[in-house]
This record gives sequence, structure tokens and C-alpha cells, in this order.
Amino acid sequence: MSLGRVAVTRGVLLRLREQLDFTKRGKELLEMKRDNLAAETNRLLAKIKVRHEFEQRLMEAYGSLRAAYVTLGYSRLQSQAFTVKPLEAKVRLRSVMGVLVPEIVQGQKPAINSITDPSAYAAAEQLTSSMGELLSIAEAEARIESIAQELMLTNRKVNALERVILPNIIETLRYIEGRLEEETLEEFFRAKRVKALIRGTK
Amino acid sequence: MRRGASVYLVTRTHGLRTHLITPRDMQILAKAKTLRDVYDNLLKTDYAVEIGQLPTQEQDATTLENIILKKLVERFFFVRRSAQGKMQDLLTRYSARFEVENIKRIIRAKHGGQNAEELNLIPLQREYTLVNFPALLKAKDVDEVASLLRDSQYRPILAKLQAYEESGTTMILEAALDKIYFSRVWELAGKMQGARNLIGEEIDLRNLLTVFSLKTRDVSAKLIEESTIPVSYALPKTTLRALLQSQLQEAPNLLRTDYSKLASEAANLLKKGSSLLLERVFFKQLYGDASAVLTTHPLQVGYIIAYLLLCECEAKNLISIVTGRQLNLGEEVIPKDLFGVQD
Repeated sequence: MSLGRVAVTRGVLLRLREQLDFTKRGKELLEMKRDNLAAETNRLLAKIKVRHEFEQRLMEAYGSLRAAYVTLGYSRLQSQAFTVKPLEAKVRLRSVMGVLVPEIVQGQKPAINSITDPSAYAAAEQLTSSMGELLSIAEAEARIESIAQELMLTNRKVNALERVILPNIIETLRYIEGRLEEETLEEFFRAKRVKALIRGTK
Repeated sequence: MRRGASVYLVTRTHGLRTHLITPRDMQILAKAKTLRDVYDNLLKTDYAVEIGQLPTQEQDATTLENIILKKLVERFFFVRRSAQGKMQDLLTRYSARFEVENIKRIIRAKHGGQNAEELNLIPLQREYTLVNFPALLKAKDVDEVASLLRDSQYRPILAKLQAYEESGTTMILEAALDKIYFSRVWELAGKMQGARNLIGEEIDLRNLLTVFSLKTRDVSAKLIEESTIPVSYALPKTTLRALLQSQLQEAPNLLRTDYSKLASEAANLLKKGSSLLLERVFFKQLYGDASAVLTTHPLQVGYIIAYLLLCECEAKNLISIVTGRQLNLGEEVIPKDLFGVQD
């Protein structure tokens, strides 16, 4: 804020004081939001820590699927897969501290009880048992992505308030207060001088 | 079947057997680096005509699989055409396995609400079947499929529809189809000394496979028993029931037959949690025995059944190889999956 252009009046001073209070409260709220988002990110990070282990299990499941393909061929395996009713999942949005994050709601699990071939069943069992965890990890990752963006934005806002806006307001306040004090002193001195002059002429 | 016709058929089958890919060539195919190499090697075999007509862009595992299955069907029906009398009847019933597999595939698709196409079926020419597959493919659900089979030999599956709806699994209908198929085959084969051994063994092994694979799953003993084929060869019904009631580890002691070693191998696999190889264990035994029949009973009708089983074995091995190559599996992976057939 350029100090030279600020109108030095009591009205501006009062408005600036109000603005300072408001900005401080806003900063506190943003800090709270930042802390909560950071806590949520930490909670989600714990969830995706298992990703490496899960990926290994998923690779094993893919290995079983490949083995089933080799054992049965494409057409037989596809025929076995036809019996499986697909997994039902819905993605809806939820608000975490004003950030819209995806929430996956699992519906009907894939029914694999009609698979008769043991190799196809083994592969299907491994894959379907991984689905719940896969969705949970995907959900956590998508949430982290949204939260991380918001966290970055909030952090910038807090930094801007803390380092630029608040110091500017405080500086302007000080400037106006100083100028007003000077003006008061000037006025006081001027009044005294006028009073002395009037007394002298009498 | 008259003696002369029988001799002709066995002699014909001896000739046909020479068209099978030898285990050595199969190993070479398994070690092929790419699908293109497999394709080139297959051009030197019985599959050459069909494969040679394939445009380069269509040389993938699914197309090759289709050709392999088509050849398998042709081989079965060529032998059937060459037979006469009761042997022809038996081979007609025996070759119905493709028809049964296709009906199963359609039922599975309808159960899952999927659109099955002719491409998803074993390529079975219209002249080889009395079942109207195009109509079955157009059926809207399993009930309609069953009602379309009302006038065929598969009529008994209509009685299983209620049980299917209650259980929500196609296993009941598939088991019913297997029962119809094997009962019809056994009706004729049971009386033919040469043919009954391999067919009986196949039934026993399929029953053991059903018990072993379903017992590890959350399937009731009643449903497992219903899923077995009600024909006994070397595996009495009482033993099968005892097997259902006991732990799988006790199976080798309960069986006390040629299947004891096999049961022990299967139980060990399941203990290790590798049910993937279960089917391989049982069918390896069957194809191994079929291969042995070629040398031990070269003049009996069992030779014909052995030949047909080895055709099936060859098709399975080739499908494994082309699928493995398409999936870029290492050459050390595929040979393990092949059924080791003795020449």
C-alpha cells in the first residue's frame, strides 16, 4: 500500500483498525484450516502407506490371471468371466474444510460363485479381494491430491496475510496515527500561538 | 460294430495320430520367442491351411485359438464320420462335449447379463450339432436358453431351473449338463471294453477335480455332491461321499486306488494355496494314460478315445503356448504348463 495516497483521517484510521481485526481473525481461521488439512493429509498418507505391499499383492493376482489365461485360453476364461456380475461403486463428493473430495461408496461385490474352473476361480478370488483395498487407496490418493492443492493455496493465503497484508495495514495504521498525532500537536500549538497573540494585542 | 469296421477305424486312427504334433515339436513351439515364430512353426503342421490364410494383422492369440479349436472339432468329427454302427453312436455322443461346452458358455453369459457372440463359442459347424446356437445366443435369459433346449437331449436342465434360481449360481446347470453328457456317453462306452477305461477314468478324475476344487470354497457338501457326475468307474460313490465328509488331507488314505497318489499331489497343492494348478494335475494323469494306451492297446477301440483325448491335449497345449506368447510370458513359464505327453 502506498502510504502517500492514504487519506489521513480518523475515519480511515477506524476503518483500518476494523480491517486489521478482520484480517487477523481471517488469518487465524486460515491457519486452523491449514492445520486441519495437514492433519487430514497425514491421516490419508497412513492409508496409502500400504500401497507398496498392495501393489505386490496385485501383481500376484495379475500373475494368477495370466496363469489362468495360459491354462484356459482366452475364450474359456472369458466365458468363466461372463458369470461374474460386475462390481458396483459410486463416486460422490464430500466437503472436508470446504474442499470437495471424492468418496467411493461400494455397492454389490462381484459374485464369483458361478466360476467353476479352479484356476479361473483362484485368479478371480485374488482380484476381487483386492478390489476393496484398491478403491480405498484410489480414494485416499484422489483426496490427497485435492487437499494438497487446497493446502498449498491456504498456505499461500496465510503467508500473504502474515508477510504482506498485515504488515502493510499495521504500517499504514502507524503512519496515520503518527500523522494524526502530528496534526493534533500542530493544532494544539497553533491554538496556543493564536491565544498568545490575542493576549499580546490586548 | 463289425470287426472289419473296427479294424478300419483303428487303422485310420493310427494314420491320423501321425498328424499330431510330437512332444519334441511341442517343446520347440513352447520355446518360440514370439507369436510370429509360433505361427511360422504351425505352418508346418495340420493347422497350416487355416493359419496360412490369416492376414498378418489378424495373427493374434484369439484368432489362433479359434483355429486350433476348429481343427480339434474337425478331428473329432472326422473320426466320427469314419466310424460305423455303435462306435459311431458312441463317438457322436462323445463329440457332444463341444456342444455342451458351448451351451455352458451361453448360460454363463446370460447369467452375467452379457452379450455372448458366436466368437465366444467353440467353432462348431451347423452340421455337427442339432442345437440351434444362433437362437440360444439371442435368448434374453437363462430361462429362455433352457426352454429352447426343451426338445433336445438337454431337456433335464429345465428341472434344475428352480434350483439355479434359488442358489444364484450356474454351477447347478453346468453340473446337470455334464451329467447328461457323461451319462449318455457311459451308456454306450460302459459296455465297450476298450473304450470304457479312458472314459471312466475321465469321469472319475472330473469328479475328483470337482470335489477338490469346490471343497476349498464356501460350497455346501450337498451342492458339491450334486455337481459330481453320477457315474462310477474306479471311484465308488461311497468313497466319493466319504471324501465329501472328510478333510482333503485324508483323501489319499480314503481313495486307496490309483487316484491316491494324485489326491496326495492335489491336497499338497491346495495346502500351499496353489489351486491354479489343480486342473493340470488331474488332466495330466488322464492325458498321460491316454498316451500310454497308444502303445499298450494299439488295436482296441480305446486307441480311438486315446487319440481324441490327445487331440484335446494338443489343442490345450497350443492354446497355452499362443496365449503365453501373446502375454509375453518368459519361455521358462510356458513349458511348465504343458501337459507332458509321451510319444
